[in-house]
Amino acid sequence: MKTKNMAMSLNTTKNRHGICSNLYNYRYAYILLLPAIIAVIMFLYLPMFGLVIAFKDYNIFDGLWGSPWVGLENFKAVLEHKTMMKAVRNTLVLSFINIFGGLPFPIILAILFNELWNAKFKKVVQTLSYLPHFLSWVSVVGFCYSLLSIEGPINNLLIQICGEEYVAKNFLMESKYFMPIAFLTALWKEIGWNSVIYLAAITGIDSSLYEAATIDGANKLQQTWHITLAGIKSTIVVLLVMKLGTLFGGNFELVYGLQNVFTIDDTEIIGTMVYRAGIQNGDYSTATAFGLMQGLISVILILASNFMSKKLTEVSIW
Amino acid sequence: MKHTKGEKVFQVFNIIIMLLVCCLMVYPYLNQVAISFNEGIDAMKGGIGIFPREFTWANYKAIFSTKSMYTGAVVSVSITVLHTLLCLVVLFASAYGITRRGLPYRRGLTLFLMLPCYVSAGVVPTYIIYRYLGLINSYWIYILPGCFSFYNMVILRSFLQELPASIEESAKLDGANDIQIMYKIALPLSKPVLATITLWVAVGRWNNWTDAMMYITDRKLFPLSYIMMQLIKESSLAQQMADDSGMITSVAKPTPDTIKAATLVVTTLPIIMVYPFLQKYFIKGVTLGAVKG
Repeated sequence: MKTKNMAMSLNTTKNRHGICSNLYNYRYAYILLLPAIIAVIMFLYLPMFGLVIAFKDYNIFDGLWGSPWVGLENFKAVLEHKTMMKAVRNTLVLSFINIFGGLPFPIILAILFNELWNAKFKKVVQTLSYLPHFLSWVSVVGFCYSLLSIEGPINNLLIQICGEEYVAKNFLMESKYFMPIAFLTALWKEIGWNSVIYLAAITGIDSSLYEAATIDGANKLQQTWHITLAGIKSTIVVLLVMKLGTLFGGNFELVYGLQNVFTIDDTEIIGTMVYRAGIQNGDYSTATAFGLMQGLISVILILASNFMSKKLTEVSIW
Repeated sequence: MKHTKGEKVFQVFNIIIMLLVCCLMVYPYLNQVAISFNEGIDAMKGGIGIFPREFTWANYKAIFSTKSMYTGAVVSVSITVLHTLLCLVVLFASAYGITRRGLPYRRGLTLFLMLPCYVSAGVVPTYIIYRYLGLINSYWIYILPGCFSFYNMVILRSFLQELPASIEESAKLDGANDIQIMYKIALPLSKPVLATITLWVAVGRWNNWTDAMMYITDRKLFPLSYIMMQLIKESSLAQQMADDSGMITSVAKPTPDTIKAATLVVTTLPIIMVYPFLQKYFIKGVTLGAVKG
C-alpha cells in the first residue's frame, strides 16, 4: 500500500502509476522468477563476456581485460589452421550421415511397431528400444570398445560368416571405420526414441482411410506408401528441417569417447577440437574464435530451420 | 477381424524382426554383465555371450576396494539428489511465476530466458568465467549451473497454463496469496509433470561426465560417469586397478577389461533398475513437448 501511495503522489500521469502498482501486484511472481533469472545471468549470460578473448591475445597473467587486442587475427588463424578446417569437414560429414542416413530407420521401426497385433508385445519391444536413450554416452562407448575389440563378438561373428581367412580387426584403431562406427552407435542409441514421435504421428492417421483403401483393393505395401507415409510426411519434413539446424553441432561425447591416439588426427570434430585446443592446450583465443564461428553459423542455421518448419506447418517449436 | 494369409505371414516376419531388435538393444548390456562376472584371464580369450564362463565376484570386489570408486559413488549420488532438488525448485517457481495472468513484461522475460538456448558463450569463455566465479574444482559446479533449463520450464509452463483459472480465483477469494496458491494448489496438481522432469534431470546429471572433464581436476570430486570414461580412455588406469586388486584376490585375476565391465555395470545399474518402473514418466515428456508443438 505504501508503495502504491508513493507512486500516486510522485506520478501525475496515470500510465506510470499503473505500471508501478502493477509491478507491485505481481511482486510474488517476480520473486519466484528471480532464481531463474539470476541463474541465467550468472551461468549463461556472464560467460558471454568471455567471448572478448576471441578478439584478444589472451594470457592468464594479463587476464580477461588486460590482454592485448588483436582484432580479427584469431579468426584468420582459425581459417588457416589445417586441423580445424578438417574438423569442420568431419563435423559436416558426420552430421549429414547421421541426419540423412539415419532418417529412414526410426520411421521403418515406427511403421513396424504400428503393425504389431499384440499390444502387450508391442509395449515390451518399444520399452526395450527406448532403453539405450537413457544410458550415458560413456556406457555406450564402453559397449563399443568391448564389442569391437579383437576377440569381441563382432570379430567372432565376422569369422563365422567369412570363414577362417578373415583376420580379426581392431576397428577402433583404424580411422576408416570411425564414421560408420559413430553413425551406427548413434543410430542404435536413438532409434527407439526417435521412433516415438513418428509412431504418435502414425497413430493420428484416420483409420477409415485404411478401410477405404482395403475396399479399393490396395495391398499392405500400397497402404503403407500412400496412407501411412503420406500421412506423416509433414512430420518427417519438419523433423528433418529441425535436425538440419544442428548441422554444425556434432556429438562431442560420442566422438571424444571413441577417439584414441591412432584415430585422433583424422577424427576431430569442432567440439573436440575446441576442447583440445582451448582447455587442454591452453590456446584459449584461437579456440574461442573457432567456437564463436561455429556458434554464429549454428544460430543462423537454427533460426533458418525454425523459420522453415514454421512456414511448412505453421507450427513453430515455441 | 479376419486376417488374410499375406497379413499373417507379414505378422510373423514382423515379430521376428522385433525379437531381433530386442536382442540388439539388450545384448551389449548383458554381454558386459557376463564379462563383469567372469574371471579376468579367461575373459581375455573372448567368446563370452550373455552368460559368464568362469563365474567370480573378484571384479566387483576389486573395484569396490578402490577408494576412487567409493568417492565416485558418493559424488554421483549426492550431486544427482542435490542438483535435481534445486532444479525442481527453480523450474517450478519460474514456470509458476511466468504463467501469472497479466504479468507485466512477460514477453521480454521469456525472451531473456530463452535467448541462451540459441546463443551460448561456448566452452572456453564459459571455462574462463567459471574460473573467475570460483567454480573450477568446486563441488558447486555440479549443482548450480544448469539448474534452470528453458526447455523444461516450457513443459511445466504449458502444463500450468492448462490448469483451470477458476480454482485459482476461488482460492484468491478465500484470501490466499500467490505463494499459497502455488504451494497448496498448483504444486500438488503438477505432480505427474514434475515426476517426468525429475527423471530427466536426474538421469542427465547421473550420466553427465563432461562437467568433470572440463572443470574438475581434483580426483576426489570425480563422479562415477567420469571415472568410467577415464577407464575407457586411459588403459593404464584400468591396468593399475587390476594390478592393485591382485593382492586382494589371489584365485581370480581381474584384467582391465573385466574391471571396465564391472564399472560399466555399476554406473548404469541405477538407470536400468528404475527404468522398468518409471519408463512411462520417461516417455511422457516427449508427448508433453510434442503437444506444445
